[in-house]
Amino acid sequence: MTASGAYEEAASAILCDCGCHPQSVKDCACARAGEMRQEIAAEAKSGKTGDAIVAGYVARYGQKILVTPPAAGFNLVAWVGPPLGLLAAALALALLIRRWRRSSRPAAEPTAAGSPDPADLARLQSDLEELR
Amino acid sequence: MSTLGHFALFLALASAAWAAVASWLSTVSRGRGLQRSAERGLLAAFALVVLAVVALETGFLRDDFSLDAVYHYSSVSQPLPYKIGALWGGQSGSLLLWALILSGMSTIVVLTNRMKNRALMPWVVSTLGLVLTFFLILTNFIASPFAGGPMRADGVGLNPQLKNYWMMIHPPTLYLGYVGFTVPFAFGIAALATRRTSDLWFRTTRRWTIFAWFFQGAGILMGSYWAYIELGWGGYWAWDPVENASLMPWLTGTAFLHSVMIQEKKGMMKVWNMTLVILTFCLAIFGTFLTRSGIISSVHSFATSDIGPAFAWFLAVVFFGSFALLILRLDDLKSEARMESVLSREASFLFNNMMLVGIAATVLLLTTFPLISEAATGRKVTMGPPIFNLVNIPWALVLLFLIGVGPLIAWRKATAENLRRNFTGPALTGAWTLALMLLLEGRAAAHAAADVARGLVRLNFAAVFDALKTFYPPLCFGIAAFVLATVAVEFWRGVRARRHQYGEGAALAFARLVWRNKRRWGGYTVHVGFVIVCIGVAASSAYRKETVQVLAPKDVLKIDGYAMTYDGFRLEALDDYVAAITEVSVWQDGRFAARLAAEQRFHPNMLFPELRAAFLEAKRLRDGDPERYTAAIRDLFGLIERLESREGREVKTPSTEVAIHKSFSLRAPQRFGEDFYVTPLGVDPMTGRANFRVFVNPLVNFLWFGGLVLVLGAGVCVLPDARERKRLAAAMDVEDRAAA
Repeated sequence: MTASGAYEEAASAILCDCGCHPQSVKDCACARAGEMRQEIAAEAKSGKTGDAIVAGYVARYGQKILVTPPAAGFNLVAWVGPPLGLLAAALALALLIRRWRRSSRPAAEPTAAGSPDPADLARLQSDLEELR
Repeated sequence: MSTLGHFALFLALASAAWAAVASWLSTVSRGRGLQRSAERGLLAAFALVVLAVVALETGFLRDDFSLDAVYHYSSVSQPLPYKIGALWGGQSGSLLLWALILSGMSTIVVLTNRMKNRALMPWVVSTLGLVLTFFLILTNFIASPFAGGPMRADGVGLNPQLKNYWMMIHPPTLYLGYVGFTVPFAFGIAALATRRTSDLWFRTTRRWTIFAWFFQGAGILMGSYWAYIELGWGGYWAWDPVENASLMPWLTGTAFLHSVMIQEKKGMMKVWNMTLVILTFCLAIFGTFLTRSGIISSVHSFATSDIGPAFAWFLAVVFFGSFALLILRLDDLKSEARMESVLSREASFLFNNMMLVGIAATVLLLTTFPLISEAATGRKVTMGPPIFNLVNIPWALVLLFLIGVGPLIAWRKATAENLRRNFTGPALTGAWTLALMLLLEGRAAAHAAADVARGLVRLNFAAVFDALKTFYPPLCFGIAAFVLATVAVEFWRGVRARRHQYGEGAALAFARLVWRNKRRWGGYTVHVGFVIVCIGVAASSAYRKETVQVLAPKDVLKIDGYAMTYDGFRLEALDDYVAAITEVSVWQDGRFAARLAAEQRFHPNMLFPELRAAFLEAKRLRDGDPERYTAAIRDLFGLIERLESREGREVKTPSTEVAIHKSFSLRAPQRFGEDFYVTPLGVDPMTGRANFRVFVNPLVNFLWFGGLVLVLGAGVCVLPDARERKRLAAAMDVEDRAAA
């Protein structure tokens, strides 16, 4: 890996500790980010890989120095929770609609055969109104 | 003046509390007199809060530095508009602004409804009074804007990054949104309390909801624009806790606006709608709390203080109280119709709600995850922008797809004919766009697909998300094309029908079409605006180019077809800052495009007398000999350096003024809507050597343009509408008969 590649990798993974908003050293526009960029660039020039630089920072400051927590352990809640939640919610909703539909079918039958449903009439009325 | 303010605020609190209590008593004793008195209590509270605001503004205008708020957020040299706007620069002033807006809105609600909505009004007034009481307790006892100390010669001044036109109007706009959600919430609670849960409550507040939703959205966009032009990192959204806090109620509010339509047309989803209106209000309070308490570190929380516990209690009371009431009233909220098919408008609205609430829940989880993680594992983590982007984009894409489906699919149950008729053309348009985009991505797409498969096998989720990124822009453009095609087909059919039926010209037919059903066509316009926003966001984040280079004057920088020469720099001492102004010329694809000036500013800390003297001296020399002027500023830079090494801390606040060249020329269509964005990070005052950070942001202006379309559409939605009025009158009529 080249020094600039290692720098890029580390600078976009490490958090700028200026204390304003969570941004990587690479993105942050504050003065502190400038200093941290130089520190990281120096480490990269000394031949360290991006991973090694990042590991060094984590050893010194803990996981909170990373812009994004690693997808392992308890952090998986944040990584995998939302997509799983999406799937679960979609599934639950589809099942719920099916159940509603089943339970409503017998009640819907007679109106379909006999006089028109009042809700249908109301809808027809409002549709007509829209066309007018 | 501050004594007057103190008294006004205290009396306002008494009036608001009286309104809450008397209005509630009137529901027990059925006393019309009590109710009238309560309504007047709200009006009086408004007048008194206005008085308090006037008193505080007088303090700002007169440089009354014995007031803490003025001392912290204003200074003698602060330009007049920022003295006025400094009211909401700090915590206590912001809370006062909340109280002002809420009491103002309450006044409008009382004046427009007291003769009509007699059944609901006692509880509405009581709820509004209660919320107002809470904010007035805060401003009276916990964070008083009139707290003071000894008279001081000069103030600290507003944070220089806030001295920006957009920052002056962004907070009040956002607050109109936050506070506006109180009105539908109050009517919802009133409907529950009185068991009048028919459609009256949301028909009455439909316009209020759109109003709040509109301002919340506009506030968010203004905040983004401010971040874009002021913070100098080339982006507009950092998933900062406070940005998230403003997004969450907007999302649930959007869900409410949609699902309420199902209740309107079909009498379904009553419990869900109540849930949404309560959630939206709670999130609005939570948002204000996050902004102001600094519980999660954020760029916006300029002060941390003791309002945290008070907010937590209030939030708990509102949340549990509202849901307890909702549970007590479940029997009154039975659905009048049943879901008949997954392929129906009802179902598509439900899925849309699921996405919106899902995104809100995800944002809530990720925003509070540092707290959760610390509580669960004792380990602190940071949630930076990447995880928000990766986790939320799939939801957002599905949502975008549903925007196309929802308005066109039939109510109750879509037939194959309905689907074919409405969706064949748009689906083909979308698929074609997607295929084209994937082809353009070419090998990158193939690699990414392989990476996704590998990541899934190894359960390396971070890698999976990372590889998926390649597919998001093509998917976004494909879906956007699909949605735009559905709307285009709708408009075209509507216009064609009118032309056939009435023989109108195309323009007239179009205008009448929109005018006859403002809600529907306004809604379509909002959708188009949102799609344009999505296109801007997707393109500018996926295809952004960036470089950082140190340049000496006359050096040239090249990036993505652009060339920028650093022509030179000059030093200035203005208002309350010194600036190194760099001038650059930009060539786009070999053609001269623009001359730009980007600044790095330092705001010296005027509380150091020698710094203040040197700054004023430099400013004085401005109209004289240019060499002496420049020398004085250089001396000032030297002084700052010496002071900083002596004090061991910063004695200046830096800020940047970015320079942007926007491309709207049709001569370079591939660059339409693109920004060339320059920000100098550090300028040496002697040699002018500067560290330039340059971005090329394609299509970023679609974001702002889409925002304008959104505004236009929402405007059409709230125009007075004869049919709406008829429906509201009918709903009231039903209510009155039920009451009699």
